[in-house]
Amino acid sequence: MSKESKKSISATLATATCALLGNAITQPVQAQEEPGWDFNTAFLYYGEDADRVQDLSISVLARRTFYDDKFLTLGLTVDSLTGATPNGGIHQSVAQTFTSASGNNVYTAPANTQPLDSEFLDTRVAVSGNWQQPLGRLSQFNVGLSASKEYDYLHLGVNAKLSRDFNQRNTTVSAGLAFSSDTIDAQDGAPMALTSMRDVGDLSNRIGEQDKDVVDFVLGVTQVISKNLLMQLNYSYSDSSGYLNDPYKIVSLVDAVTGDVVPRTPTPGVLGPSHEYVFEGRPDQRTKHSVYGQAKYYMGGKVLDASYRYMTDDWDIDSHTVDLRYRWPMGDSRYLEPHLRFYTQTDASFYQVGVVDGAPLPAFASNDYRLGNFDAITVGLKYGWTTKNSNEMSARLEFYQQSGSIPAEKQFGNQVGQVQYPDLNAIIFQFSYWFGR
Amino acid sequence: MLAAIILAATPVVGSTANALNLGDYQGKVVVLDFWASWCVPCRRSFPWMNEMQHKYADDGLVVIAVNLDNQASDAEAFLQHYPADFAVYYDHERQLAGQYGVEAMPSSFLVGRDGTVVERHLGFQSGKTEDYEAAIVALLGSN
Amino acid sequence: MAMKNIVLLALLLAFALLNAGCSSMGVEAWDRDVLAKAEMQLTTDPLEAATDDHIYFSKEASSGGRGFGGGGCGCN
Repeated sequence: MSKESKKSISATLATATCALLGNAITQPVQAQEEPGWDFNTAFLYYGEDADRVQDLSISVLARRTFYDDKFLTLGLTVDSLTGATPNGGIHQSVAQTFTSASGNNVYTAPANTQPLDSEFLDTRVAVSGNWQQPLGRLSQFNVGLSASKEYDYLHLGVNAKLSRDFNQRNTTVSAGLAFSSDTIDAQDGAPMALTSMRDVGDLSNRIGEQDKDVVDFVLGVTQVISKNLLMQLNYSYSDSSGYLNDPYKIVSLVDAVTGDVVPRTPTPGVLGPSHEYVFEGRPDQRTKHSVYGQAKYYMGGKVLDASYRYMTDDWDIDSHTVDLRYRWPMGDSRYLEPHLRFYTQTDASFYQVGVVDGAPLPAFASNDYRLGNFDAITVGLKYGWTTKNSNEMSARLEFYQQSGSIPAEKQFGNQVGQVQYPDLNAIIFQFSYWFGR
Repeated sequence: MLAAIILAATPVVGSTANALNLGDYQGKVVVLDFWASWCVPCRRSFPWMNEMQHKYADDGLVVIAVNLDNQASDAEAFLQHYPADFAVYYDHERQLAGQYGVEAMPSSFLVGRDGTVVERHLGFQSGKTEDYEAAIVALLGSN
Repeated sequence: MAMKNIVLLALLLAFALLNAGCSSMGVEAWDRDVLAKAEMQLTTDPLEAATDDHIYFSKEASSGGRGFGGGGCGCN
């Protein structure tokens, strides 16, 4: 039985961000510590409702401290994904049948449901390495490598970062650069954008392995404001080019008047889609700008961590993120940390529910909910404690809810009655164990 | 002459009110080290300072450590883990630190027999101890 | 689009101003006991941060932005 492995490519793209500088790779360095190893390990469960994605992962960050503020950090993450993900199709009052990603069989979405890719299983392995050392007394540089592999995606990345302290180390200016070279090896080859979803066994619109390159640049200033207040401001620039589509997602061909998906008759004797669908197509280039600010404020033992990020790109997506954490110590060895995160984004210019039958095909079209118009909120609580042998453990439980909406001008006819953007509800549970330091 | 500061411990826990008068050490070579319990490189500097004190005490070296913690209890906790075989003082008002111009933690000042500051060391790096020791020896050699 | 550019420009200006006004702010080297604490680092838990980045990158259109050092005990 062939392996159905088409979960969202975007999930794997996260490794590209892990290649980027900063916290993903290195432990917080306060000063030279005794030479030796310390380990930060975590177990994570992520689960969406309504039979959607579930993810289990184990991560390890091992750091070797050397004399004189030099560090080697090695990371390993293994992820196992199961479940189903929206394929870009829309709610209809009739059932819909789609050819599966493997091209070998079909799956059916019941009427009045959001069509989901049928179940799959995939495992991802990600590794990273980072070396940090001083350059003179007041400067420091980092260099790192990252790689990840899963069934249909390979990521390779390199990153470097330079920072310098000023004003008796009250001000730190940093600059970082990261390059990623990714290969998308979708099952049976990526489909050509905006071509129709074919019958089972028909691979005529496949164009094979695809590449994607990403350049990231970050410039940041960290400033000690007072004995109890630290702030940071970063500007990030990111440029992606190459194959940016999700090779498994489609956009429905809809009737110009009713807005319903246009039915299709499969070739006799062959299984295939019940309606007309085209594979999505995004631009082959994307430029993002972000500005991020963070403050950490100490209030007699309690710590408030507040951050804001604004992102804008040339796909017309704007987003705002506000993240708040409040660490509340309970005695010397335990703490409670509530967490609140607000997120909102506007849809991409080419985000659309369907492509109109009879009208010329647009240059780009995608119904991937990730590019849509939505708000999201995360509410969580973390509990941490120090063990008898001075190691640290923590557990956190969070709830994530995404609620989107299709702009009125982007839906018409019978689409308006249907729930075209169901809420996404997910639970995040993580257990961490930090030892050796 | 330098401001009076409170004597915290020599070399273990205890405190008496006494002034540190560096003038008392004229004729000796002094390593004056400013430290704090939260300063991680200080954990490595203490064993090294112990070694220097033992090695060159007879030649006239005196190591003096000045603590800049907010609370003496933090300093004492540190000294339990990293004992000092040299004098430790507590600069509660940070007057000495200000006068010497402590710009990094730890900072240590190499003072010659005539009382003048010959070298200033910002931070503590294991890679630099050889040179530091050579400078101490050179100063001990001269009269 | 023009609105977007204005917002971006305003934020970059704030960035430059913060930079310019930075030289007189801060604390003495010996006054960093609070900043040296683990819970006062910009990223207290790198694995948690990496996990969150991964999750939100997979579910949203934005990514990254954070990271970097600075703060801390300022030792050495």
